[in-house]
Amino acid sequence: MSVHVFDTMGTVVSLRTPAGPLDDAALESIEDVFRSFDRRFSLYDERSPLSRIARGDLALTAADAVVRETYALALDWRTRTDGAFTPHRPDGVVDLSGVVKALAMHDAGTELDRHSPDWLLTVGGDVLGRGSTDGSAWRVGVVDPDARDRLLGTATLSGTRRALATSGVAERGQHIWRRGPETFVQVTVAADDVVTADVIATAITAGDLEDLDRLTASADVDVVAVLADGTLRATPGARAWVGR
Amino acid sequence: MRSRALAGGVVASAAVLTLGWQIGAAQVSALNAASPVTNSAGSGSTSSGSATTAPSPSASSSSGSSSSGSSSESSSGSSSSGSSGSSGLSGSSSSASVSGTFDGATTQTQFGPVQVEIVVSSGKITDVKALQLTNDGGRSVQISNQAAPILRSEALTAQSASIQSVSGATYTSQGYMTSLQSAIDQAGL
Repeated sequence: MSVHVFDTMGTVVSLRTPAGPLDDAALESIEDVFRSFDRRFSLYDERSPLSRIARGDLALTAADAVVRETYALALDWRTRTDGAFTPHRPDGVVDLSGVVKALAMHDAGTELDRHSPDWLLTVGGDVLGRGSTDGSAWRVGVVDPDARDRLLGTATLSGTRRALATSGVAERGQHIWRRGPETFVQVTVAADDVVTADVIATAITAGDLEDLDRLTASADVDVVAVLADGTLRATPGARAWVGR
Repeated sequence: MRSRALAGGVVASAAVLTLGWQIGAAQVSALNAASPVTNSAGSGSTSSGSATTAPSPSASSSSGSSSSGSSSESSSGSSSSGSSGSSGLSGSSSSASVSGTFDGATTQTQFGPVQVEIVVSSGKITDVKALQLTNDGGRSVQISNQAAPILRSEALTAQSASIQSVSGATYTSQGYMTSLQSAIDQAGL
């Protein structure tokens, strides 16, 4: 197993390729995908278009097409989640970090497909994979929110279910703006694509049990949610992750 | 019979079942009445339920054959006759110790015929499934993707799990240093 680790977007990327390391040019092209998203969308970099929009120096409508299309995508998800997911911070700033990490992972995955049939990409707790390792499906542990060195269970990336994303109150409390009292402390979502997994995880975490039921019914996802009272809920497809 | 059909209809609603998570005696008896196999002993008490307590996943069938007397062969969920107080079923378990798999009556839905099944462990519902029935009466996939309560199994230590990655709340570059992901990256797993 070859593991390539690098820093980007304020977090860390871990890339696994069972058949050995990718060549330098391939690794560079993958790191470039993340750097490119970061340059456009980082609110930590005052030169980024998103920072200029936040300051009022640049009109959103005057931003480049990628920024506008990404904003449109985020608005579409706001509609699809009935407002549980939103690109608008409570202070009015447009923050697209809720979709940008997953979009970067998606694009990096497309690039990875050109270089290897088997790979696993982990970015700040979100996972996207292709193929297998030593003939077995990729296995991903789900962190126990009560003890981050322990696992709630393990999920398997198989078939079309290639993406897993976890949203929670721990670690880095970004882009989750709750709509009411805290119902969930951690929500893990498996989906065929990583943007769906990430957005639905964020939306459920921000919402309540009604949002959970509505989103699991309307989106093609498997979900394990840890409630604030410590109990677990799992959809049929996610039960095997946590035993019982 | 009419009241039984009514009870079956109620039982067939997963919503009703999920509301009453702690199973009560009344619910047990309602379920027994609705289940084709279980026998409701006159009093409607919690006496049966043992009909499907066998270790096998589900002893229920659509035959209703275990009951004595009247019409019950159809798979419609019309349950066994109310007449006999005891059939071959052993009774007498109290609600606290009821365990097993219980099926509600079959109802027509937009998905076709659907039957609700619950799993009871020591008097508590541990699982609720909406089963879609195939044309020949068999079961097919669960149709509901609702996230139901699930018992937390023993937390795994990372050492005991064969994993290549960890999904958790987003960590910062600093947070990564002390994360499980960092550990398995260094181990080259």
